Amino acid sequence: MATVKINGKEITVEDGTLILDAARQAGFEIPTFCYQARLSRLGSCRMCLVEIGGQRKLQPSCVTPVLHGMEVFTENETVKSARSSMLEFMLANHPLDCPTCDKGGECELQDFVFKSGPRHSPFDEWKRRFHEKDEILSPIIVKNHNRCIHCERCVRICDEVVGVSALGGIGRGAKTQETSFWNTTLDCDHCGNCIEVCPVGSFMSLAYRYKSRPWDLKEADTVCPYCATGCQITIGARNGEVVRVRSKSATGINKETLCSRGRFGYHFMQSEKRLTKPMIKKGGRLVECSWEEALSAIKQRFGMGRKTAGIASTRLTNEELFVFQKLVRDVFKTNNIDLDSRFANKWVTSAMVDVCGFREGGVSIFDALKADTIFIIGSAISDENPITDYLIRTTASDKRKTLILAHPRRLKLNSSATISLKYKPANLGDVVKGIVDFIEKGKDKAEGDIDAAALRFKNASTITIFLGADILRLDNGTDVLENIAVLKTLLKKTGKNINCLPLFDRCNQRGAISMGIHPLFLPGFKKSEEEGMDCGEILNAAKNGEIESLYVLGEDIVSMYPDARFAKDAVSKVKFLVVQDTFLTETAKMADVVLPGVTYAEKDGTFTNQEGRVQRVRKIISCVGGSKDDLSILDNIGGFGYKSAKDVFDDIKEEAPSYKDILFDALNNTGVLVNGQGTGGMSQEPGVRSQRQEAIDYSEYPFQVITGNHLFHSGRLSQKAHVLVKLLAEPFVEISDEDAKELGLSDKEVVIVKSKEYEAALKLRVVKGSQKGVAFIPENFDSVSVNRFYTRGEGMARVKINKL
Amino acid sequence: MLSTQAIENIKKAIAKYPTKKSASMDALMIAQKECGHLTEDILLEIAHLLDMPPVQLNQVAAFYTMYNKRPVGKYHIQVCTNISCSLLDSEHIVQFFSKRLGIKKGETTSDKKFTLSEVECLGSCGTAPMMQINDDYYENLTEAKVEEILKTLK
Repeated sequence: MATVKINGKEITVEDGTLILDAARQAGFEIPTFCYQARLSRLGSCRMCLVEIGGQRKLQPSCVTPVLHGMEVFTENETVKSARSSMLEFMLANHPLDCPTCDKGGECELQDFVFKSGPRHSPFDEWKRRFHEKDEILSPIIVKNHNRCIHCERCVRICDEVVGVSALGGIGRGAKTQETSFWNTTLDCDHCGNCIEVCPVGSFMSLAYRYKSRPWDLKEADTVCPYCATGCQITIGARNGEVVRVRSKSATGINKETLCSRGRFGYHFMQSEKRLTKPMIKKGGRLVECSWEEALSAIKQRFGMGRKTAGIASTRLTNEELFVFQKLVRDVFKTNNIDLDSRFANKWVTSAMVDVCGFREGGVSIFDALKADTIFIIGSAISDENPITDYLIRTTASDKRKTLILAHPRRLKLNSSATISLKYKPANLGDVVKGIVDFIEKGKDKAEGDIDAAALRFKNASTITIFLGADILRLDNGTDVLENIAVLKTLLKKTGKNINCLPLFDRCNQRGAISMGIHPLFLPGFKKSEEEGMDCGEILNAAKNGEIESLYVLGEDIVSMYPDARFAKDAVSKVKFLVVQDTFLTETAKMADVVLPGVTYAEKDGTFTNQEGRVQRVRKIISCVGGSKDDLSILDNIGGFGYKSAKDVFDDIKEEAPSYKDILFDALNNTGVLVNGQGTGGMSQEPGVRSQRQEAIDYSEYPFQVITGNHLFHSGRLSQKAHVLVKLLAEPFVEISDEDAKELGLSDKEVVIVKSKEYEAALKLRVVKGSQKGVAFIPENFDSVSVNRFYTRGEGMARVKINKL
Repeated sequence: MLSTQAIENIKKAIAKYPTKKSASMDALMIAQKECGHLTEDILLEIAHLLDMPPVQLNQVAAFYTMYNKRPVGKYHIQVCTNISCSLLDSEHIVQFFSKRLGIKKGETTSDKKFTLSEVECLGSCGTAPMMQINDDYYENLTEAKVEEILKTLK
């Protein structure tokens, strides 16, 4: 520990603390430009100069650590005058076009000059000028080089955190331009983090350009509705219209970062395709009707008991999902309730709950990343959970750590991985089995990659295993998860510390399971007395005419269930189908009653992210058109009398013990991790699993299909956000370079992808280093819905790819 | 496109360093020797060889004035105008060249023979004013000497 005196105030801090941090702890603000907590230290802007007692020259406090007994001055005349001079130099080349700059009002340069800058400039020379018109650097970035102050935050965040290295300082001295490789359109992740970290108006968002001044915005902190990383976002609305989403540098697990979906995927909220009026089927056609008519139709016609079922999306809040399960169980009197129609079966989700220890409470990702060995399996993490990818990349830059990344596709994170394991999707289980075998048999010589990974496990002391949602889609997912459980026990026996975290691709998947949106358990994982049917079973029953009423809340079964034809056929046999959604989805088109719900910006509630962190969703705009808050719709049908999300949360606290200690009103930007509720281990013996078919000959279809979200999209929701559509509008098929070479195909060529069920022409993407015999098709496009390739019961789609 | 020989040389340069990126300056020079100046395609090719993001390679290429980003003539005249040389009136030398060849700083003659550039210190301050033409130094320059030198350049 070191004791230092800052402006006469004594403070004791850890050895090696930067003077800047120590001063901030002591309550003195030091202005900075190039300093950004999670980036490498540059010390180039010289704004943070401080005087150190006994040293002749001023020192940059963002790169100088404290020493015991040091005396630091941050507010004296010398420092103030240096600060003012540095700003004077920056302004010498700054165009001072604040009235037309988007950053005006929240510009760091503006603020610092206002506070401590010079009021006059002796510079008489011409200012440098790169261009007259702003340059459009990508579909989301507009760049003004003239305003740049060369703090290089954009360059460093792109390289160190996002891992793309798309930006660089080209040129030298004042003529440097922070831009793309050849100052041409960027081909990058389009995450917009460069815009967020830019202290001036050099990088600007094209979508937000000239839309508003910051002081005209009404802002609310809420949670991103895309993946389950649970990033904190701040939505800004002007005159009831959402105009931007940003991240704050000190807020949430994501801090200043977001991905393209989170930052630019907000336009769906006010899309003209939104459902605004309830609809009812009359004479075979859906026609608009009043809320009374729609709701009374549901109350009269929706059945009760075994022949009813409910399927919910995992993008809804905990409160809505809680009320939904209450509606299904208490009013419709059935346990036929499931989440997400993409997953294999109820046993695999239940096994995930056990293996990841949902009952044992939440695990902070920051604690999890302290482990010396990190193992990720079954998730295209760089696409599915970009912010978790950023966090892991920053962690793995510590060479003492081991990162083992197992996925068939070559991912961005592979460049940071110590060991990259490749496998064919159907053999995912073999990877885990291989590791278990190695450790069980006490081997200590590695033959091959899997053994090498196992050896790392053996030598580790703390391990974090991330389990991706790919596992939930596998029909043998339960076997994989059982093996993970065995691995956990084996490693625990040898005194290792193990954490297991899920990587989910929908914002509230963990919350949905905890709220009892599951055929096997009630809220708080209490076993339901009677085992209900999962989505697959519900559809099967529907096909046989055994489901008369089906309530679909926000889920698009027809587009998502792996076997589109089967799903459509099954849903069409349901006598009374209610769909509550924000858009007229494929499933909604078949409904008898359609209820227009609302998006996350129009409601209050909570999401539970993959760590088990409960965070507040806050309302910022009023319900679009004649749509209604999902909670009030469900409440009206059930007649429960809930007044607000908080009312529901009080009930959740009673039913789900892990939420007991959370105070709804006190939830702040960091959220609260759920508590443990005691019981661990496998709580339910898997019953009858999906029957393995006798071996099918797939030789005609050599590619195994793997699907998931593309980096720019999430489910079908992002299709309604036009900026994201601009980034990627067309579906594609991605294969390895080896396969492409064998088939004589080249990148960007249009190919025919054919499975037993379906055939489509798709653009080809060739990726070097992906697993051979695997084809990736994103699940995000209506035009070529990936679920059409699947055959129910075969688990995985197999395709062949030919020249057009 | 780089020749196999150039690629071979770049690979040899890579072998000299602990990380591939470290060979970027060598590699750029090898490429420039062969192609005269560096283009987008060449940088992409080198970045691929060095396994580094292209933008980082361009950062190196753009920082140093000795990498030509535009085509240069057969003879690249690089006059030093740093402190020692300018004290001995290197500006006059530049202007003399300018008048003699009919081009301004940074330009190339229409017959693609000469390019005139102003460069930073070449480390030969003792013999200022000086210049470099392609790989050779010419020192203690005077108008007459420059005239002499120009005659030898065919």
